[in-house]
Amino acid sequence: MKPSTLRPHLAATIPIYLPTVIPFMVGLAADILLHAFLPATPILIVRADFSMVLFLAGCLASLIYLVSILTRQGSENHARQILLETQQAQDETRRRFYRRLDHEIKNPLTAIRAALANFPEAASSPEQLRVFRDVQHQVDRLSRLVSDLRKLAELEERPLEKLPVDLANLLEEVAETARTHPVYSGRNIQLVLPKVPWPLSPIIGDPDLLGLAFYNLVDNALKFTGPESPIEIRAMEDGRSLLIEVADTGPGIPPDDLPRIFEELYRGTNARGFEGSGLGLALVQRVVARHGGTVSVRSRPGRGSVFTVRLPF
Amino acid sequence: MNETRPRVLLADDEAAITANLAPFLERSGFATSVVSDGQAALDQAHAISPDLIILDVLMPLLDGREVLRRLRRSGNWTPIILLTQVGEASERALALEEGADDYLNKPFEPHELVARMHAVLRRARPGQPPLASAWRLVCDTGGQGSRLVLDRRARRATLGDQTLTLTPKAFALLEYLMTHPDELLTRDRLLDAVWGWDYPAGTRTVDTRMAELRRSLKDDPVLPRFIETIPGEGYRFIAAVRNSS
Repeated sequence: MKPSTLRPHLAATIPIYLPTVIPFMVGLAADILLHAFLPATPILIVRADFSMVLFLAGCLASLIYLVSILTRQGSENHARQILLETQQAQDETRRRFYRRLDHEIKNPLTAIRAALANFPEAASSPEQLRVFRDVQHQVDRLSRLVSDLRKLAELEERPLEKLPVDLANLLEEVAETARTHPVYSGRNIQLVLPKVPWPLSPIIGDPDLLGLAFYNLVDNALKFTGPESPIEIRAMEDGRSLLIEVADTGPGIPPDDLPRIFEELYRGTNARGFEGSGLGLALVQRVVARHGGTVSVRSRPGRGSVFTVRLPF
Repeated sequence: MNETRPRVLLADDEAAITANLAPFLERSGFATSVVSDGQAALDQAHAISPDLIILDVLMPLLDGREVLRRLRRSGNWTPIILLTQVGEASERALALEEGADDYLNKPFEPHELVARMHAVLRRARPGQPPLASAWRLVCDTGGQGSRLVLDRRARRATLGDQTLTLTPKAFALLEYLMTHPDELLTRDRLLDAVWGWDYPAGTRTVDTRMAELRRSLKDDPVLPRFIETIPGEGYRFIAAVRNSS
């Protein structure tokens, strides 16, 4: 345990031994006075009574208190360590599962795609052609899902680029990309950046992955709101980290969905009618976590949602 | 049968794949032979001297990588496309040592495979190592101070007598472009090969980094010497690249 974590516990023992120290000090003063006036008396007359016993008892109680704190902290640390190891083991199991799933699905999918490539499109009836296109579309979707899942799992192991990132610049780029997206043209996307007394400080990170994460949040906000609804992207800093928020006036997220929306393939009850891979928020969460940050959400049904990304300097 | 058709050796142990892929390759203009394990691939590579080999990685007896290694060690530089696991292509695409001409993730789109086969055949110089395993690439565009040299071991690029200041990502992007010259590279493919992820929202990333790279190369997008934009499709490295290792 570090001295800084021990200090409050040492302070907590003061009320335990202090009451025992006062009678001891009084006894000591009485002994010294007695000895000064009557040099013949031994120095331990008054203290050899209960004040000595009390003092020793106080010391003992403080010691027992400290020992109990230390062992409790030890077991808490131990429990935290076990939790962390379990988490890591689970992550590793998940990654292994993706690798196996990936391997078992890729060959049949490759074979189906090859078979579809041989389909005689020119000699088919319109109905056959429609079925063919449907199957092809679904196979493409499945292929995409398999590779996206795998790449998401890989994001945890892949080395990050570590460059100074000007977040104001990056967010402007993200907003501009969304504004120029044909589906979102004419949408009201507000970007609120601090300028006084200083602009946002740069952070170290992977600009492309961060851009991807913020674009995903903005894309979500636009997707789940009507064409008239504004979107707000705002950033600020609090001395320790950068806070980036993406806010919308969409349908909101039901409270039951909130704890799960960052899990891969989880689709909230409000999100079922919308197109999407179910991987966007999981991707955001991974990217932010790889930068040592956190992402959270506040939402009010019928009012909207605010996603907050916190990135440490 | 037309004798001028390129001969391709397809090695994959999954019968469902070869049974469907071989006829497709035939129809696409390749005389196709099929083998189902690594040892047979090695034997056939020597026996029929194909123009191109497509190797699956996971095969019985010898895996695709071992076949590739043995061929290259014996001085056989037949162009090879390796069929990799998802995610592996990006790791390998920029690897100097392995010696494959291109990589494709399963499950691939067969038309994409054919496009890659054509590109690899166009690039291949008989009996010479592929650009993908050259550690020094040179590009002369003729103009004054416009010789572009990419030293892949030192991770350094020079234009004329100037060393270019490139981020690691920009260098990797230039490296991929120069090892795949004269080939249409879609944004998705560049993302997959250089970044290792190709989420749809990432395509703007390619454009941003490409603009940076062009500024470093002093390349005018309107009248490009090196990188041409193919509207709605992607990019193409148009200058001739040679191996000068």
